[in-house]
Amino acid sequence: MIAFRTGAVWDLVLLLVLSATSYYYMNKALKGEELPKIRTLAAIEAMEEGVGRSVEADKPVHFAMGASGGQLYSTLVSMTLTGLAMANYVARLCAKLNARLIVHMPGQAESIPAVEGQVREGYLREGKPEMFIREDMRYYGRQASSWTQGVTSSYAEEGVGVNISVGIFYSDCPISLELAKFHGGMNIGGTGRWIMAYAFAMMCDYVLLGEEIYAGAAQVSENPLMLSGIAIEEIGKAFVYGMIALGLILSVLGVSAATTFGF
Amino acid sequence: MSFVKRDLPLIILSACGLMLLLNFFVPTDIGNVVKAELTTWTVIIGCIGTFLGIYYMTISQWRLLQQTKTTIQYFYFATIFGFMFLWLAVGLYFPGGVTSPQYLWLQNNLYRNQSGMVYGVMFFTLSSSAYRTFTIRSIESFALLVGGVIYMLRQIPIFPAIWPGLLPLGEWILLVPNVGGGRGAVICAALAALVVGIRTLSGREATMMEVQ
Repeated sequence: MIAFRTGAVWDLVLLLVLSATSYYYMNKALKGEELPKIRTLAAIEAMEEGVGRSVEADKPVHFAMGASGGQLYSTLVSMTLTGLAMANYVARLCAKLNARLIVHMPGQAESIPAVEGQVREGYLREGKPEMFIREDMRYYGRQASSWTQGVTSSYAEEGVGVNISVGIFYSDCPISLELAKFHGGMNIGGTGRWIMAYAFAMMCDYVLLGEEIYAGAAQVSENPLMLSGIAIEEIGKAFVYGMIALGLILSVLGVSAATTFGF
Repeated sequence: MSFVKRDLPLIILSACGLMLLLNFFVPTDIGNVVKAELTTWTVIIGCIGTFLGIYYMTISQWRLLQQTKTTIQYFYFATIFGFMFLWLAVGLYFPGGVTSPQYLWLQNNLYRNQSGMVYGVMFFTLSSSAYRTFTIRSIESFALLVGGVIYMLRQIPIFPAIWPGLLPLGEWILLVPNVGGGRGAVICAALAALVVGIRTLSGREATMMEVQ
């Protein structure tokens, strides 16, 4: 027998709200109409300062998406896209200020072309494709243990001006961030994995907390579709928060939504 | 070409997504069969991704070797691929595959020790960042420090060997103050979510979007 799943009405309502919002904002983005602006994040502004600092100190800029930051077929793929947008932005900044960029690529080798492509495109966009050096695109194998050893040995051998880490981080980040600091570098970064947010909060000079990485990536990418994605997410978030508050009020009043509204 | 490269994958993905969504809201026997089949395909796609990864990694390392033909580059190349083939050969050749004693020996004596060493380094990096970040300015922060130090010492085998009392003490910290503090944090987070909800309903919440 075909029947609607019990207790899934609000899921359907949320889906419809998000679908309608997606259609509205994506349509606006495709037509080139004005989208809501994202407020300026301190960590994004600090990236240019950090790259400038690296040039002054004659030390390289390090960029990492995390040892597991190249996941292309998992629920964390949105963070991979965020890391790629940031790689492009950091490459553009380095091209603009003539800074050497070392990219510590994630362990997922299947994402190597995507990371290389973003960095190459960043240099190209600033009119300096010759700045792309394959030797500075470092790959350390699949495991976090080899990744952290590779990254930290690069810090020790080549120095750190600024270390920008945005993406999927597990227990690799307490080591890479702290040792960048130890070698005199400035740390800027963040992850969407809340469980590792503590490491970024403790070790970074400028931190992107949780969802700020998505907003920051959309801002620096200047891609209208990514910007519209943030607007859609904000509407969805406001809807969920509104439902929580409404649920609380109804609960205090002793009204059961399930029996009153028949689902 | 753009249809095959861009539009066709989008059509396939959208169709799969719609089928899964439909089955979530209106579960049917056919829908469940389709869902099971699509879930199997994610494993297949994952395997293809792994093989693509090996291909890209080989190309990338080969190009590096061509660009800088130094002794160290030859060493890196030989080491990476030597271990990779050793791992594959042992896993595929010996009876039992990845549960064979030979494979487990590689896993336990090479891989696991290396991972343990990296986690050991984390102890120093976390201690140094905690030293820089936290300062003891109140009785609460002092209690946090004492609890943290006792629990940290309990985790390092040599210290419980010197003083066995660290084991029950560390366990008590984990099960009593830690659980109490955790519950407090959860209550605070729930209250904060409600406050944000009420602020959102009243239009007072400043979000990622720039306030116009």
